[in-house]
Amino acid sequence: MTAPLVEVHDLVVRYKSRGLFAAPFKPAVNGVTLSLPAGSTLGLVGESGSGKSSLLRALLRLVPVESGTISLGGEDWLAIDGPALRRARHSIGFVAQNPFLSLSPRLTIAQILAEPLLARGDKPGAEMKDRIALLLSRCGLPANFLPLRASELSGGQAQRVSIARALALSPRLLVLDEPTSALDVSVQAQILNLLLDLKADSGLSMLFVTHNLKVVAHLAEQLMVMRQGSVVEVGATERVMADPAQAYTRELIGFGRRR
Amino acid sequence: MRCATVKGASAVTLLEIQGLSVTIPSALGPVQAVRSIDLCIARGEIHGLIGESGCGKTMTGMALLGLTPAYAQVAARVIEFDGVDISNSAADLRGRRIALISQDPAAALNPVLTIGRQMDDVLRTHSSNSKAHRAATAVALLAATGLADAPQLMKRYPHQLSGGMQQRVVIAQALATGADFLIADEPTTALDVTVGAQVLALLRKLVVDRGLTVLMITHDMDVVAAVCDRATVLYAGLSVETGPASAILTHPRHPYAAALLAALPDAAPRGQRLAAIGGQIPPSTETISGCAFSPRCPAVMALCHTMSPPARGAGNHRWLCHLAQCAP
Repeated sequence: MTAPLVEVHDLVVRYKSRGLFAAPFKPAVNGVTLSLPAGSTLGLVGESGSGKSSLLRALLRLVPVESGTISLGGEDWLAIDGPALRRARHSIGFVAQNPFLSLSPRLTIAQILAEPLLARGDKPGAEMKDRIALLLSRCGLPANFLPLRASELSGGQAQRVSIARALALSPRLLVLDEPTSALDVSVQAQILNLLLDLKADSGLSMLFVTHNLKVVAHLAEQLMVMRQGSVVEVGATERVMADPAQAYTRELIGFGRRR
Repeated sequence: MRCATVKGASAVTLLEIQGLSVTIPSALGPVQAVRSIDLCIARGEIHGLIGESGCGKTMTGMALLGLTPAYAQVAARVIEFDGVDISNSAADLRGRRIALISQDPAAALNPVLTIGRQMDDVLRTHSSNSKAHRAATAVALLAATGLADAPQLMKRYPHQLSGGMQQRVVIAQALATGADFLIADEPTTALDVTVGAQVLALLRKLVVDRGLTVLMITHDMDVVAAVCDRATVLYAGLSVETGPASAILTHPRHPYAAALLAALPDAAPRGQRLAAIGGQIPPSTETISGCAFSPRCPAVMALCHTMSPPARGAGNHRWLCHLAQCAP
């Protein structure tokens, strides 16, 4: 077992209630502990209100954490602040659910892929152009897509672009929030294949958040099922799929088609 | 009119469509949203209409509701509901015999009116009963969709309800019209998996208890497996395979249906590449020569590009393909 890339211990995220005397909200994330070994994929499964998005936001440092620790590559991820945090964020890439909402309609694909590089301080030029074309081809799109805009792409092509953008700064961790939910089944298969290839080629670590257990079970070594802020089940994918310990997990697996 | 059912026996046909097409004029030439769809739905069944984006599944539902845009040209060789030709009167059946359950219940309900008022709007349009009688009917219908404490619920606004509860209200409204044929357009896509499963179970219960018939428009094979008796697979505005849901899910005959099932994440062992379908659906402005799936088909033959595929199969399971045997 390789050393964990991400370690979360007893994490609590709670949103502020409105009003001075209002009762505090129940924690959105209630004491979650997880460990993601480098090069592996963790599937985080949960329905609305399970806390999966709040956990994700805490990992991305977008919401404050009430208590608990997060370490990334052995460092205290919650202690980093200011300009150091800005630099440290390069080590996490993020892919959102709807590529048409996360890609600017105004920019060309080349500009979209250049943005993270320019934000890091890279100088525009021939080298950057080559890097962008390489990024795109790694994600299965030829260079003739570079002058196009997102509105000219299909859903699957647009999601490939947003994966390419997430990989632009060579992150150690790729966080995917429902990356295939907005896509057709045949396109979903293409994106899952791309993620499998990236995993095999570059040993990328992934945190894959979804409500669809069957989709993530195809990629992930480990599954974690959340409900109402707490982890209800965690384990190796094969074990969870074959022998779910919780009735709730069984319900998620049991729906629909049998094989 | 009779049509085949799952059990092989014949049952009373509620809806019979042959050669339905919907064409929409555009600057780029006519858009063929639906090219040619055949559909035969028996009374009392849940019939899945399976397809990916742009295959014409929603437009087929809209044509049945008489809700296609005014400038769209709708044509069909046969379009009969309960034995009556409705080619010019589909809109008259809407809200009387045919009702729609849409994908997003929050958008289907009016945010500024109470549930009770919105139920009453439907009941008032469809009956001349007294206000008290209508209120009692509304409560009974809400209770029939599995909503607890229906009298209290009548005073609530849609935003105070969860997505699953909202969808139950929409189903109660559909029942309030007295319709016996429901067109459910992706009714569980906006819901959580477990809540969606409960809504599907409710639809099944209503079909049994009230003798309803449901056209279930979906892209989700799990929904087909969970609730559909029979199903029709659409590709590029064409119905390419129709048969018992279990047969389509386990032994699909059309290469597209087979490819769609092989692309599901649980079709391959973990970590192995999935059989993604290469290429894209033909643009709806394009005229198709030969088989619509031929540019992407793994079992393509020379004649597939030039000749329209013949209808194969018999009885309750039919498909369009040049292959004499079955899908690869």
